[in-house]
Amino acid sequence: MTVTTETQFLATVSATDASAFHQRFWTWKRFVTPLVVVVILAGLLAWVSVLQLDSIEERTLNWPYIVLRVREHLLLAVSASGLVAVLAIPLGTVLAKTKSKILKGVVLTLANIGQATPAVGVVILLAIVWQTGFTTALTALVIYAFLPVLRNTMIGIQQVDVSVRESARGMGMTPRQVLFRIELPLAVPVILAGLRTALVFAVGVATIATFINAGGLGDMIVNGLKLQRYPVLVVGAVLVACIALLIDWVASLAEDFLTPRGV
Amino acid sequence: MNKRILPIVAIAAAGMLALTACSSAETTSGSQGTELDGLTGDVGAKDFSEQFILAHITSQLLNAYGANTEANTKLVGSANVRQALENDEFIGYWEYTGTSWITYNGNTSPVQGTEAQFEATKEADAANGIAWLNPAPLNNTYAFAIRAEKAAELGVKTLSDIAALPKSEQTFCIESEFSTRDDGWPGLKAAYGLDIPDSSVALLDTGVIYTATQKGDDCNFGEVFQTDGRIPALDLVVMEDDAQFFPAYQGAFTLSQATLDEYPEIADVIDLISPLLTTEQMQKLNALVDVDGEDPEDVATDWLTEQGLI
Repeated sequence: MTVTTETQFLATVSATDASAFHQRFWTWKRFVTPLVVVVILAGLLAWVSVLQLDSIEERTLNWPYIVLRVREHLLLAVSASGLVAVLAIPLGTVLAKTKSKILKGVVLTLANIGQATPAVGVVILLAIVWQTGFTTALTALVIYAFLPVLRNTMIGIQQVDVSVRESARGMGMTPRQVLFRIELPLAVPVILAGLRTALVFAVGVATIATFINAGGLGDMIVNGLKLQRYPVLVVGAVLVACIALLIDWVASLAEDFLTPRGV
Repeated sequence: MNKRILPIVAIAAAGMLALTACSSAETTSGSQGTELDGLTGDVGAKDFSEQFILAHITSQLLNAYGANTEANTKLVGSANVRQALENDEFIGYWEYTGTSWITYNGNTSPVQGTEAQFEATKEADAANGIAWLNPAPLNNTYAFAIRAEKAAELGVKTLSDIAALPKSEQTFCIESEFSTRDDGWPGLKAAYGLDIPDSSVALLDTGVIYTATQKGDDCNFGEVFQTDGRIPALDLVVMEDDAQFFPAYQGAFTLSQATLDEYPEIADVIDLISPLLTTEQMQKLNALVDVDGEDPEDVATDWLTEQGLI
């Protein structure tokens, strides 16, 4: 009787798993989004290059201006999402584990208010009572994008099957171990989905940073809109849309990479 | 000429009534004539207080002459309001010469001189089927304001004075829109020989600029609109445009030529208020709304009543 030891078994499984994963992961469907974005951007470039720009448009539709705005925009959106991840995931975990209804109620209400309040209002209000600039825009974005991550973290942890939790306890795991070895890994897909939502939100909402001297592509959109210079408006808006698509794509890759096998 | 005299006679009659104390509050807002019988629709407005006030003033005045209009203050953004007029959704609205010239007619540099700018705009818009009535004296042009106390400290009165200030004091708050237009930031720097790095310029929304200028953290000089009521209310002083760089943004009622052809009396009725709407008068009315928080409609009614126009 040949008995495959457990470790051998696991090794074979993970090896075949890895190559299967690799095949499943890098399918042609993976590249649709970036391809679409490249096609759109190429079309945009071609369109703008045949336009006769007036002096107002030329001040905006030039590489240094656009590159700077894209950089500011990305910096805002990505750092806001990073901050949200660092703050909302631990808080969501605590809330999922706490028995205090009051704490849960208070935090969720605050997060709800943050998302329900129009971001423009939050930004302008903060600018008036506090200060203008990058930090203020970042704060407003964090407030705005907080709820999806917080909620998803809570749901992710709470939805872990009771029997899984019980058996882990039965195996002698401490509550801490249950949390870090069982509950959090199982919650990863849900948490990441929340984070992905937050990122895409942040890209869109970062356009309002222009109102308070925090730059970004909102500069172009507002400028083009107010002055009725459609090329400026369209370039700004299409760039924001492309960034959102690309970021969502990168996030989807991360989601698939980080999700534990079999979940 | 006859048409012009009629409303004036009507005002005189209303004035007499008021003098003889025969008129109650009810009758003062009554009818002044029936010239505009049959004119129905909305008077448009852009999304700021001055426009709300002007739309209500115009609507109530037209109604006093038999029209049945309402002020529509729901649209946002100049471009949408203009588009609505072109689509015949509005009877008309108050527009500024510079805005039409640069934004709708796609020019990049203004015409020098208030009158010349008006004539050029009127002519350009005639091709679009939009008529301009006689303009009001109000000029809602760009200006730079600074908090009064800081102006005294720095000893600045005119925009030319700014170039002589130490670099650290040459800080500005401007709008994104202003930052790229020829009659905005690039032109201003050239006209006054200002050499200012981008780090000394904060791009802010219009509403934020006023408070930022008052606070003085982001900038000393904030880009403002001349007729804004917050200038006196926040104790800001406007720098004199001594090189006459800024174009005129004179206000006038615009409407489609077709409407004007059908109701030529509109021009006479609007002529009753146009000469009264000066920059200072508009600042006062705007302050009632922006600073004291009054309702634009009430401000309009009160003003028309005070002037004896309704």
